[in-house]
Amino acid sequence: MNVILAEGLSGLSGTVMALIASLALGVTSGLLGTYVVLRRESLFGDMLSHAVFPGVVGGFFVSGWMARMGWVESEKNPLVILSCALVAGVLGALVVTVLGYTTRLKQDARLGVVLSVFFAAGIAMFGFGQPAGVNGFLYGQTGAIDATDLVLVLGAAAIVVVSILIFHRPLLVVSFDDGFAHNLGYRVMGLTLMFSVLLTMAVVVAMQAVGVVLVSAMLITPAATAHLMTDRFPRMMMLSVLFTVGAGVIGTLISGTKEGLATGPVIALCATAIFVTAYLFAPRYGLVARFWHDRSQRKRIQRENILKDLYRVLEREGFPAEGASVSAFAAERRLDPGSAERELKMLEGAGDLIRGNGGEKLVLSEEGWGHASRVVRNHRLWELYLTNEAEYQADHVHDDAEIVEHLLGEEAIKRLEEELGFPETDPHGSPIPQPSSTPPQPTS
Amino acid sequence: MDYLAADFVYVPTKLLVWFGLACFFTALGCSQVGTFLVMRRMSLVGDAISHSVLPGIVIAFLILSKFGKASLDSPWLLIGAGLSGLLATVLIELIHYRSRIKQDAAIGISFTSLFALGVLLLGIYAKKVDLDPDCVIFGQVEYLQGYPRVEWLGMEFPRPLVSFAVVGVTATVIVAVLYRILLVTSFDPSLATSYRYFPALVQLVLMGLTSFVVVSAFQAVGAILVIALLILPGATAYLCANRLPMILLLAGVHALLSSVFGVLLALKLEINTGAAVVLAGGGLFTLAWLFGPVDGVVLRAWRRRAGEGMEPDAVPE
Amino acid sequence: MIALETHDLTVTYRKRPVLYGIDVAIPEGNLIGIVGPNGAGKSTLIKAVMGVVRSTGGWVKVFGKPVKQSLPRIGYVPQRESIDWEFPVTVMDVALMGTYGKLGPFRWVGEAQRRKAREALERVGMLPYAKRQIGNLSGGQQQRVFLARALAQDSDLYLMDEPFAGVDAATESAIVELLKDLRSKGKTVIVVHHDLQSAREYFDMLLLLNMRVVAFGPTAEVFTTELLQKTYGGRLTILSEMAEKAAREGIGKIHPKNEP
Repeated sequence: MNVILAEGLSGLSGTVMALIASLALGVTSGLLGTYVVLRRESLFGDMLSHAVFPGVVGGFFVSGWMARMGWVESEKNPLVILSCALVAGVLGALVVTVLGYTTRLKQDARLGVVLSVFFAAGIAMFGFGQPAGVNGFLYGQTGAIDATDLVLVLGAAAIVVVSILIFHRPLLVVSFDDGFAHNLGYRVMGLTLMFSVLLTMAVVVAMQAVGVVLVSAMLITPAATAHLMTDRFPRMMMLSVLFTVGAGVIGTLISGTKEGLATGPVIALCATAIFVTAYLFAPRYGLVARFWHDRSQRKRIQRENILKDLYRVLEREGFPAEGASVSAFAAERRLDPGSAERELKMLEGAGDLIRGNGGEKLVLSEEGWGHASRVVRNHRLWELYLTNEAEYQADHVHDDAEIVEHLLGEEAIKRLEEELGFPETDPHGSPIPQPSSTPPQPTS
Repeated sequence: MDYLAADFVYVPTKLLVWFGLACFFTALGCSQVGTFLVMRRMSLVGDAISHSVLPGIVIAFLILSKFGKASLDSPWLLIGAGLSGLLATVLIELIHYRSRIKQDAAIGISFTSLFALGVLLLGIYAKKVDLDPDCVIFGQVEYLQGYPRVEWLGMEFPRPLVSFAVVGVTATVIVAVLYRILLVTSFDPSLATSYRYFPALVQLVLMGLTSFVVVSAFQAVGAILVIALLILPGATAYLCANRLPMILLLAGVHALLSSVFGVLLALKLEINTGAAVVLAGGGLFTLAWLFGPVDGVVLRAWRRRAGEGMEPDAVPE
Repeated sequence: MIALETHDLTVTYRKRPVLYGIDVAIPEGNLIGIVGPNGAGKSTLIKAVMGVVRSTGGWVKVFGKPVKQSLPRIGYVPQRESIDWEFPVTVMDVALMGTYGKLGPFRWVGEAQRRKAREALERVGMLPYAKRQIGNLSGGQQQRVFLARALAQDSDLYLMDEPFAGVDAATESAIVELLKDLRSKGKTVIVVHHDLQSAREYFDMLLLLNMRVVAFGPTAEVFTTELLQKTYGGRLTILSEMAEKAAREGIGKIHPKNEP
């Protein structure tokens, strides 16, 4: 059957084959990488890729021998190679588990030991012959992929996709909380074993594209990028597949343009480039987005602080109808005339301030009164609340309110007022205003 | 490429001694630094650093070539490696600080990018500067014989061997001098903070030391097996001893034995020397696993039969 | 003299406030218990005092000086669960670690240090186990080893994080005796404690903590139904909500970390 498939596929051009391989890579690594990242098992993936290597080398030997015995057609039988790789991978995982039960070594050391010793075994096997095509697994070679490789890759991909389609929910539960999984009656051991087998297959596919070491770039980086961008698991999976396929396809195309550009590292760097782009520009969590959000918020807070100080000046002077003087405002804000002027312009531009008497007198607009009274109320309510609720020193009750006043929403205010019994004055005796668009009556 | 120790039939003892010494000094430095990596559960970080130094080494080599001074035993490679390792550490922190990406993924992203960069540069410029890319994977102890010699105590050694020795001994001395600080920061960072040992700084120093010993290890066993030299000695010793000073000593012994047996094994089976050293190390590990005084499986089964006292069972994390 | 003083100490962990605006002044020569519900920030408080955990606002003074200068006078006993019990050190090694502070990082350990460690181990009844690796001990024994380490430090202020958790009754009484003995020598001992009933018996003063200081003072005065209700009666939602919002929005505390 292999042979028929291979014959059919060998009609395709090298580029097309490379692209198909990238697709398969994207799907397998993207799907399984999602679980690996969520399980925080990046090192486990790394261990598998190194542990699988002697299996691949052995597979080549066995396949070649079987071909010589006439049991199979080609020296590079994908089924044989995949099987040997699987055996090695599962063996590696088994050794790690056994070491866990029999020694005090921690997980990271166990993985490191198995990773390196198995890989060394693979390299050592080269001493007995370096079969053609093995190098492809070491360094990656989508560019040079041939029909038999493609059969292997597509076969593994098919198994992975089907398994995930069937088992994605139990796998998710097991990854997140295996105690709960037991509770639900899932066979945790069986699922974990299946996961290891599927991961090994993904690793074998990825190895052909990017080589042993960079398998992690395919498993981890795109999935981590997806994790950055969404909270929801199905979406994370889709994004992960998208990014992996993207890296694979773009990487293959780029490396094809120039001599001497090995496919493996180019694909890996494409995955990284995608990651960096998302890290900077992702809509909500990206660095740029957060910067803008912080900035607009700082502006809002500054505006509210200015309004609050203006309110205080007006309150001190008894809410005169003609408004407050610019100099009184500048004194309250402790600013020189130039900076004070800048702040007033900001308020004017926002529609909070009306300047009368040739610019010398400051009167708040309806909007302005609404904002200002709200902020002052928040501040004074919070001060009262803190003073009642905890043993805080007086100085930092005020400072604390300076921050929280900007954060209190209407719902929290309602609860505060209820809890404090609808108070009328703050700890210093100042009245707690109700938000309104009209200024209070002048009192002097 | 010829990854075997050349096509010779007759191997002079001198060559074997050189290979053995090269591996030993390299393994010695790695064993001391690596033991602390194991104690601090930082094997993954050690793996990452061992891969991350590649671009630094390649770039340093390329720059040296511009000045016609390209050589694999130049101290500038150490600096390149150190900077590269530092970059990796910085990237890891940058990625997982203030983002929901956890540390293991951050490490993965960081070291794969750097390693990919290194391999790419190597691929593009290798022919121009006479650098064999396969050495990255396979190490090149075998190439020692091609280097100019130096004289010492009436015997001659290839020049790189001297730098291996310097690196190995220096690393060992530094670990010995900083022993108490490393011990306390590894065991109880809060106590370390109260003693003003600055755990964060120590961490950085440890990363730097790792980059330092990794450069030699690179040349002996290749990028991928460096992790073996870092972890196997400490892991093996941990199964055999109960106190840290003894573990460090045994790790050094492991370095020696795995180098000796490895070189002999490579000769006998005609396989890559680096791989052979690691396999020898793996063999020692297996022996420790079976017979180690502290954790050995066989010993524990025997003790249980003899009905000895309360021993906490090892449960995997 | 005030042994420990904090002002507006705030600690945020992953955008969630754990401690918010903590003000305390603890007089020396007392045995003080810190109580509060789980997650109230009790461990975080002493970690923030030590500088092990970073604070986002406020300052700490120990014996009138900034903490960094007073570190040699503080002995810290961590929570048992934060220790790696499979680390290759023996009981004696751990006790000796207590002497490292005064010894410095490079001087050789001498007979004076060994004697101090032995005496400390003797006092907690762990000298016979000196050569044992710390993993091969019971919970109570493990706790005693860390107490011995703190004793070997010869500190003036002791900060202990749940020293009574999971120990047998005999160890518990032994520890209480030890603490009272320390107090009689003029030391200040601050203990994070998990059990209210015994807290009433053991401590001179209590700090009721739930993200902020609910009350602090002599046990008799502070151990009232009203105050306990305030402490344990469910987290103070509005305060914790606002604190969380502030932390999340990155506004945080803008106060200077050190006293001006």
